[in-house]
Amino acid sequence: MAELTRRGLLAAGALSLLAGCGKDEPRQQVAYGKPQGEVNVWLHGSQETGEQFQALVHDYIAEYRVDVRLLYLPVGQLDAKLLTAFTGGTPPDVFKIGHWSFPAHARKNRLAPVDTKALTLQNYEPGTTTPLTYDGVPYGVPIDFNPCMLYYRKDRFEQAGLDPDKPPATWEEIAAASTKLTSADRRQVGLQWLYGDPQWALMMITALTKGGTSLADALTYMSKLGNPKLSNPLGALGLFYSGEAAMVISGAFLGPALEKLGKKSTPYGVAPMPAWQGRTSVVPAYTWGWGVAKDSPNQYTAWHLVNYLQGARSVTTNLDNGIIIPTKGWRQAGPRGESEIMKIVADSLPHVDFGPIVPGTLELAKAASSAVDSVAHGKATPAEAAAAYDAATRQIQ
Amino acid sequence: MSILRSLWLIVAVGFMLLPVYVMVVVASAPDDTDLSGLVFNGFHLTDNLRVLLGEGNLALYLRNSLILCLGTGLLDVIFSAAAGYAMAQLSFPGRRALFALVVGTLALTPMVLVIPVFLIVKELGWVNTFQGMIVPGMISAFGVFLVRQFALGIPRELLLAARVDGAGEFRIFARIAVPLLKPALITLFLVHFLAQWDNLLWPLIVANDQELWPLPVGLANFQSEVGVTYHLTTTAALVTAVPPFILMVALQRYYVAGLTFGGLKR
Amino acid sequence: MKVLVRDETVPSRRAAPRHVRPQAAAGVALTLPVAVFFVVFWLVPFVAAIYLSFTDYEMAGTPNWIGLANYERMFADPGFLNSAWITVVYTVCTVVPTIVLALLVAVPLAKPGRLNRWLRALVMIPAVMPLAATSMVWVIIYSDRGLANTLLGLAGIEPQAWLTSSDLAIWALVVMVVWKSLGLFVIILTAGLQALPGEVYEAAAIDGSGAVTTFTRITLPLLRRTLLFVLVISVAGSMQAFVPAFLLTGGGPADATQVLPYYIWANAFPYEHMGYAAAMGMVLLAAMVIISALQFAFLKGGDE
Repeated sequence: MAELTRRGLLAAGALSLLAGCGKDEPRQQVAYGKPQGEVNVWLHGSQETGEQFQALVHDYIAEYRVDVRLLYLPVGQLDAKLLTAFTGGTPPDVFKIGHWSFPAHARKNRLAPVDTKALTLQNYEPGTTTPLTYDGVPYGVPIDFNPCMLYYRKDRFEQAGLDPDKPPATWEEIAAASTKLTSADRRQVGLQWLYGDPQWALMMITALTKGGTSLADALTYMSKLGNPKLSNPLGALGLFYSGEAAMVISGAFLGPALEKLGKKSTPYGVAPMPAWQGRTSVVPAYTWGWGVAKDSPNQYTAWHLVNYLQGARSVTTNLDNGIIIPTKGWRQAGPRGESEIMKIVADSLPHVDFGPIVPGTLELAKAASSAVDSVAHGKATPAEAAAAYDAATRQIQ
Repeated sequence: MSILRSLWLIVAVGFMLLPVYVMVVVASAPDDTDLSGLVFNGFHLTDNLRVLLGEGNLALYLRNSLILCLGTGLLDVIFSAAAGYAMAQLSFPGRRALFALVVGTLALTPMVLVIPVFLIVKELGWVNTFQGMIVPGMISAFGVFLVRQFALGIPRELLLAARVDGAGEFRIFARIAVPLLKPALITLFLVHFLAQWDNLLWPLIVANDQELWPLPVGLANFQSEVGVTYHLTTTAALVTAVPPFILMVALQRYYVAGLTFGGLKR
Repeated sequence: MKVLVRDETVPSRRAAPRHVRPQAAAGVALTLPVAVFFVVFWLVPFVAAIYLSFTDYEMAGTPNWIGLANYERMFADPGFLNSAWITVVYTVCTVVPTIVLALLVAVPLAKPGRLNRWLRALVMIPAVMPLAATSMVWVIIYSDRGLANTLLGLAGIEPQAWLTSSDLAIWALVVMVVWKSLGLFVIILTAGLQALPGEVYEAAAIDGSGAVTTFTRITLPLLRRTLLFVLVISVAGSMQAFVPAFLLTGGGPADATQVLPYYIWANAFPYEHMGYAAAMGMVLLAAMVIISALQFAFLKGGDE
C-alpha cells in the first residue's frame, strides 16, 4: 500500500508534467491548398550550397508571401534539440534529418505523411524514398542521396606497381591491392575504413554480409585492412586527400569535395562498389531527407515549400556541388551529371541497400561501429564482436 | 633552495601555459597547414578576426553571451545573497528543509533533467526567449551554499545591536549584511559568469532563433558549417576565452577568497 | 526529557518575541524566490526523473510502470558496465594526479614574494578558459605533428596517435582535464597553506626538521580540511564530467572514453531510452551520495 501511494505520488508529479505536452490545444490545420502563414525550418548548414539555398528561400518568400524562418544548427546537436522539441510539443514545421532517424520518428507518430497534393512522389527515382517510408507510408523526400563507391589514388597505385586504370572490382582484389599499398609501419595503407562512425560501420557491414559472408568473417576481413590509429582532422577522407590512404569507400559527394579542398588536385579514380568474388555487389547507401512535423499547423505549406526547395533549380545547383536530389532526370540537370561518379550512381540505383529500416537504426549503427572498432583496436576477436553485435541487435528489436 | 624553488615554479607554470601559447600561435596563423603550434607563422590574428566578424556573426554571439552571463550572474547574486543570509542568520520555518534541498541538488546529474525542465519552460511559455535561457540556470546551489557559509561568519552581536536600535530585518540585510558579504558575492558572480559562459547545451535546446545564440552555440555551429579550419576556429575560441580572462584579472582577489571558504572555515 | 526541552525553549521564545516574528517573516520572504526556484527547476524535474526511471518512457506516448526492470537491465548491459568502469578509472586518474601536482606547485607558491604573486595569477588562466575553447586547442596539441608529439620527440619517443588509439585516448583526456582543473586547486591549496599558523613552522625550523619531514609531519595534517574539500569537489566534478569527453573524443575510439555521463546522454538523446537513462542517472547519483558521505565521515572522524 505504502509503495503504491509513493508510486502514485511520483506518477502524479511526473505525469502532470509529461501530459502537459502536445495536448494543450488541438492544433488547427491552416486552410488547405494555398501556401500561407509561417514555416519554421531546422537544418544543418552547408558551406557549399548555403548561399544558393538562401536565395531560393528568399524567392519562395517573395513569390508565395510565406514567412519562412531558417534555423541552422550544429549537425552534432541537431538530434538532441529536435528530440527535446518533439517531446515538448514544439517541433519546427520542416526539418532535414538523416534517413536513419525517420523510422523512429515515424513510429512515435511525430511525422506528417507526404502531402501528395503539394508534392509528387512519382518525380523521385524509384527506391530513393524507401528509407523515408515506414509501414508503407511515405514521410519524407531525399536530398543528398549517396550510394557508396570505391575511390582510389592513381598515384599510390602507380608507386605500388598496380595498374592505375584497373581498380579492384572484388573484395579479394581490394585485400590483395591493400597488402601492396600498405607500408611496413602502416603509416600508409591501402583501403581505409571510416572508424568511429556508426552509420558508415553499419553500411560496410551491410555491404560485406549481405554480399555473402558471415558477420565474423566480415569483421575479420575489415580488421586486416586499414589502420584505425591514423588521424586526420577530416577523418578517412582527409587521409585519402593526403594520400596516406590509397582507397576509401565513400559517397558521390567526395569527388567534388576533393576538388574544393586545396590547391593541388588529387589524382583519384572511382569504381563501382566491390563485390565478393563470383557474387553481385550490394551498394550501401544513405540519404538525408526533408520531413514535416505532425504537430505542424501548416503542413500543406510545409510540403509545398519542400517541393519548391527540391525543384529543378535546386537539383542543378546541388548537382554542381556533387549533392544529389534524386528526382527523375537529375543527371541532365548540369554538366556534372555526365561525370564518372554520377554514372556510377545511376548504374547502382537498382542495387542500393539502405540497410535495416527500423526504429532502432541508430543503436544498430552504434553496435556496428562498436564491433568494427573493437576488432580493429584489438579489444575483441571477430567472433566475440560478432556475438556482442548479435546480442545488441536482439536487445534493440 | 629559493632559486630551485622559483625555477620549479616557473617551469611548472610555464607548462601550464603552453596550451595557451599554442592557442595564440594557431589563432594567428594565416592557414591551418602547420599545427605544431610552437613557432609563429606571421601574425594574422586581426585578419582572422575580421573574417569571423564579417561572416561568423561573432559580434552578435558575444552580445548574447554577455546578456546571458550578466543576467544569470546578477540574478544569482541577488537571490543567493538573500537566501544565503537568511539561512545563516534568521530563524524561520522550513529553513532546514530548504538547506537540504539546495545542497542535495549539487549531486544531481543534470542530463536526466533536461526533458522535464524543458517541459516546465514550455509551460511557462519561455521557449525561444532570453528568460528561457536565463531562468532555469539563474540560481546555483553552489551560490546559496557559498553565501550561507560566509554569512555564518557575520557576528550575531552586530545584527542584534541593529535590531535593538529598531532597524527592520530587510534594512539590516541591505545595510549590514550585504556590505559584509561583498567578497562572497563577487566570487559568486564570477563563478556563475564563467559557468554560463561555457554553457552550450541548454541555450542550444531552448533558443530557436540564431538572434538569441550565445558564443558556445555559435562556435559549435561555425565548426559544423565552415568545417574544420583550425586557424579560424581557434581564433574564435581565443575570442571566447578573453572576456573570462579579463574578468578573472579584475576580480581575482575575490575569486580566490570565495573559492577557499570550504577549506578554511573551521 | 520532553518537559525539560520545553522548559528550555519557552523562556527564550518569551525573551525575544519582538524579533522572532519579523525574523520569520523576513526569512521566508528572503528565501522564497530560491525555494520556488529549486522546487520548480530541480525538485519537480527530479521527481519526474525518479518516476521515469521506473518506466519504459521512450520520449513519446505514456510511460508504463515497469518496476525495477531498468535497474536490472544495467547489470547485464556491457555498455553500462564498460562506462561505469571507465568512470572509475577516469575519476581516480584525474583526481589523484591533480591533487598531487597541485600540492607540489602550491607548497612553494604559497610563500610570499613578488614572483609568486604573478605566478598565482598565471596559474588561473587555464581554469577560466571555456572548455569549448580549450578542447579545440587540445585537439591541435594531440594532432600528428602537434605539441604532444613534439615533446615526445624531444625525449626520443616515437610520435603517438593520441586521440585515435583506444589505449591512449583516455590518457589524452585525463591529461587535458588535469591541466584544466590544476590551476583552481593550486589556488585553493595555496590559500589553505597561507592560512596555516606560522608558529608551527618556526618551531619546526628550530627543531631542524628537513623540508620533507616538515611537509609530511606538519603541513599535510594541518592542511587536511582543505585537501578534503578539494577531494570532494574534484571527485564529484569528475564523476559528472560529460563535456570534456563529448568535445575531445566523442566517447571513442572503440568506446574507450565513454564515461558514464556520456553513456547516459547517448541513451537519452539519440536513442530516446529516457527511462533507462533516468535509472542510470539515479545510480550515478546514489554512487555520488555514498562517496561524498564517506568523504564527509572521514572528515568528521579525523576532527575528533
